[in-house]
Amino acid sequence: MTDHLLSIIVFLPTLGALVCMFAPKDQVRKVGVVFTLATFVLSLTLFGTFFTDGSAAAVEEAFGSSYGTIRHMERHDWIVSDSFTIEYYLGIDGLGFPLLVLTTFVSFLACVASWNFNTWKITKSIKAYFVLFLLLETGMLGVFVSLDFFLFYVFWEVMLLPMYFLIGVWGGERKEYAAIKFFLFTLGGSVLMLVGLVAMFMYSGDAVTNAMRMAENQDPATPAYVTTQGVESGYRTDGFRLTGGTFDLIELATNKAIQAHFTAIDTVFLGLKFAPVMFMFLFIGFAIKLPCVPVHTWLPDAHVEAPTPISMILAGVLLKMGGYGFLRLCYPIFPTGAEHWAFLLAMIGLVSIIYGALCAMAQTDFKRLVAYSSISHMGYVLLGLAVMTPAGFQGAMFQMIAHGISSPMCFFLVGVIYDRAHHREINRYGGLWLTMPQYGTFATIGFFASLGLPGLCGFIGEVWVLIGTFQAADKFAWAYPVAIIAAFGVVLTAGYILWLIRRVYLGKEREQYMGYPDATGREKFILVSFAVLCIAMGVLPMQTVFNFTNGTLNPLLAGVLAAQG
Amino acid sequence: MNVIAATDYWANIPIGEHLWLVSPMIVLVCTMLAVVTCPILLGRRTRTITAVVAIGVTAAFVMAIRVAMQVADGGTSGLSTVSGSGMLIIDNLSAGYQLLMLAFLGCVIGLWWIGSAATERDAPEFFVLLLGSALGMVLMVSTSNLLMIVMAIEMASLPSYALVSFNKRDRAGAEGGLKYMIFGAICAAIMLYGASLLYGLAGSLNFADIAKMVALSFAGGGRDVVLVSVALLCFFAGVAFKISAVPFHFWCPDAFQAAKIEVTTWLSVVSKAAGLILLVRLVAIFCGTVGAAGLMHTVEPIAWGIAIVAAITCTLGNIAAYRQRSVKRLLAYSSIAHAGYMLMATAVFIHPDVAGSEAGISALLAYVFIYLFMNLGAFGVTAMVYWATGTDDIDAFTGLIRRAPALAIPMIICLMSLVGLPPFGGFLGKWWIWIALGRLDSTLGWFLIMVMGLNTVVSLYYYLRIVVRMTLRDDGQAVLRPSFGGMAMVNVCAIVLFPVMFIFANGFKSTADHFARRMFVPTADATVSAEPSVEGDHSAMADAWVDDAAGHNDRDVKRP
Repeated sequence: MTDHLLSIIVFLPTLGALVCMFAPKDQVRKVGVVFTLATFVLSLTLFGTFFTDGSAAAVEEAFGSSYGTIRHMERHDWIVSDSFTIEYYLGIDGLGFPLLVLTTFVSFLACVASWNFNTWKITKSIKAYFVLFLLLETGMLGVFVSLDFFLFYVFWEVMLLPMYFLIGVWGGERKEYAAIKFFLFTLGGSVLMLVGLVAMFMYSGDAVTNAMRMAENQDPATPAYVTTQGVESGYRTDGFRLTGGTFDLIELATNKAIQAHFTAIDTVFLGLKFAPVMFMFLFIGFAIKLPCVPVHTWLPDAHVEAPTPISMILAGVLLKMGGYGFLRLCYPIFPTGAEHWAFLLAMIGLVSIIYGALCAMAQTDFKRLVAYSSISHMGYVLLGLAVMTPAGFQGAMFQMIAHGISSPMCFFLVGVIYDRAHHREINRYGGLWLTMPQYGTFATIGFFASLGLPGLCGFIGEVWVLIGTFQAADKFAWAYPVAIIAAFGVVLTAGYILWLIRRVYLGKEREQYMGYPDATGREKFILVSFAVLCIAMGVLPMQTVFNFTNGTLNPLLAGVLAAQG
Repeated sequence: MNVIAATDYWANIPIGEHLWLVSPMIVLVCTMLAVVTCPILLGRRTRTITAVVAIGVTAAFVMAIRVAMQVADGGTSGLSTVSGSGMLIIDNLSAGYQLLMLAFLGCVIGLWWIGSAATERDAPEFFVLLLGSALGMVLMVSTSNLLMIVMAIEMASLPSYALVSFNKRDRAGAEGGLKYMIFGAICAAIMLYGASLLYGLAGSLNFADIAKMVALSFAGGGRDVVLVSVALLCFFAGVAFKISAVPFHFWCPDAFQAAKIEVTTWLSVVSKAAGLILLVRLVAIFCGTVGAAGLMHTVEPIAWGIAIVAAITCTLGNIAAYRQRSVKRLLAYSSIAHAGYMLMATAVFIHPDVAGSEAGISALLAYVFIYLFMNLGAFGVTAMVYWATGTDDIDAFTGLIRRAPALAIPMIICLMSLVGLPPFGGFLGKWWIWIALGRLDSTLGWFLIMVMGLNTVVSLYYYLRIVVRMTLRDDGQAVLRPSFGGMAMVNVCAIVLFPVMFIFANGFKSTADHFARRMFVPTADATVSAEPSVEGDHSAMADAWVDDAAGHNDRDVKRP
């Protein structure tokens, strides 16, 4: 149960998909729920990592002290060729772990949200729906646990096709357009990532062979970590020595020879400095997923057209992959690239915050509003990362997880009312709180969490990011103005959310909505699950998130700053 | 000197062991003869003829297995030592191709049996042509001798022209076949012209000798560079025609659309693969010779030439596929694009680093292998839909997921594989080319990587158009009942692409590596001249080689 735990978690949904294929039609959704629940429960057992020796210090130690402390590691050679070795390499640390649990959690609830499949507008092939849903979950989980770049890339793309079909088959009116737009945007980004993948492998190979050649020539300048046998691994303690290029994401970030080569000014890629170029390639790939402003246009379409559970997954998990990509690849591997582009990144983040909020304010479609609010919220993630301060990094991570809870909840809230009224026009609603009091209460919690009300989850992330931005003032001259403008984003957020709540939930009860049943038991189960976490994360941010992430985030940031000098 | 060479030629009359090595080809020829004589003896019944062909192809396949095993442990044993000039090379590569080609031939005949046999009145003629082109293709991959290359290409092409316009009453078929033939004839003429120039310049038909002449010329110490370049370009027009590289691709969409679908399947995969493998061998010989002479840096323009042709080929193929409504035609353009990708791998060879060039060869072989399955699957489904609905228009695919899920799902897998999306087999093929290009670590390599990446995105759209119709739309067309054999075939293709290919990627890649390493590459220095040498004005260089060769002959010659 120890070594293969991650593999089991990742491939359990695939097994579920296989079972779905052969299950009778009316049992399929049960299979789906059972398997997503089992995956969720299994992922909870990972918390055991933190209580290994029963002491309070174990929590600090689990992923702490250095970047590259990996738990539940599983690595085997997968494709061994003359010139390269690709590994099946899974593991979790403070970056992957919370997002893994978030994924299993949101997937489970989204699966429960799919329970009323038979009442949807399009009810064709329930089997295919759950098969694709479970395959999608495998893809998402795989992204968060793979530590080999090739494997990461494969999982990254694995989830494209199921997502495409889930939007394209069971979506709304413009589903074809939305689905293909999603597919093309993401594939476009991942092609750039692929160039980065090949280049990083080749250049790491150069770094290692050059270092080894120095050792062979008995060059006095040879660093101590290089011998003729290879280059000392940056984080492996088993005496492993690197003798060629690698796809190992942690090794790329921690190996001194590779880092020295990557950050050297005279390392060029097609005549341009290597680190900034590679950072940009990867950044664009992940920014499309995040999404931030110039490349965000797929998101509102995909969200609006997707069925409710798929919107939940999109908002709750898929967007986090972009942020996770920044943290796993861009920053640790190309710290000097991060420094080079810091201003641009902060600007993109800032524009995303403000532009997303302004767009959200202008929407009359309920779902589209929530979608634009996602863009605005993910802008904070980018801003927090761009300033490269501890509070900024922590805030970005917290914001990702908080948004992973609050935004699926908002989408589900939209879904609940859409199931009853079959339209999403904000202005045609009104007084729903009176009609459906319990639903109204949850809606308030959900939207206030999204707004960033103190005491709810959205608040911590935004404040941390803003504090982090202010703290960066001694590094970047632009930090103060950016922080001040970003703080205005909070006001805009409050503006559109409060206005939304007034239009939809407050006011006079409307006749056409009278007699709508309040939230059912199933809906309440989902809403309560989200609401509890919204409150818990807002009140106890340390115990729910920071304790698990900071052990990795802080050394990661320290390494980034050290490399920048 | 000439006398010695001539004696040598006759001294090396193949012995029994060598005949075993060419036994699949002999069986193919016998089958052709049998098919021709059959109508006289047994009548023209399609069933009889097909049985004869099936027996023949099976026998050839069994022989091919034997050959593959024979050369597998000996590396480049057998005929290759006899005709070091590369008149006929049986090595891992050609044996492997032969095996795959015969298996594919079986599939094509199977497709034909499912779809066309019932209405076919001219089965004997059809089979003679099909087997003839198969024989030509096998010869193409088993030679590096100029004369033999020209012969083999013609042997593969001439029956193909007739196959495309096989249905005499079909105007479109006649038009496609005519276009194909005119284009092919012109290309053949250009190639012959180039071949004769090359022969005249090098004084030898052995490609290794020619390679050395080219390298010396590029280095500035030999023949006139312009003349040599023209000769090379002309010669490679023939090869480019076979793999439908731009600008020799015009025949491809018309011929593919006009031909019967099983013929299209045949041409799109095996014929291109043969052209590519011939190119691989020639380029490998070229690099081996030039590299041994230390002149690699002088031929970089050739690498750029190939790279640019490859980039234009795949871009043009992908863009042209955009607006096609006929799925056959769409797949024809897609096959042009894929030829471009494979050409990219060829550009990798021309590189001073020998290990790098092996990565390129290995990547190309792997790609060809994967491509075989992707295209067989995609064309197979198209054929099944065509036979059921009578059209290959993209609208015939609407709602296929409901009408025939056992066709739609393999089609999705094959199409996504053609895009190069993980976790399907096509991605592995592309990935290996990518990584081989990355090894170059040069502007050329990164340029090609980016071109290929962008093309992947571009190509996604038109492959998705089919997927969209199959899955997202439904206009209530009738349910299809495809034959079991056909469904089994396309599903096997799909299963190989995913997940088999991905799980066994390691073994698969190491096999490709093995093939690449063991490829028999005659070099100029090891020449044992097997063709009768010509009289006349040799350059001093060519004379020296013949002397050298004669020296070898004195030692190595085996007299019966």
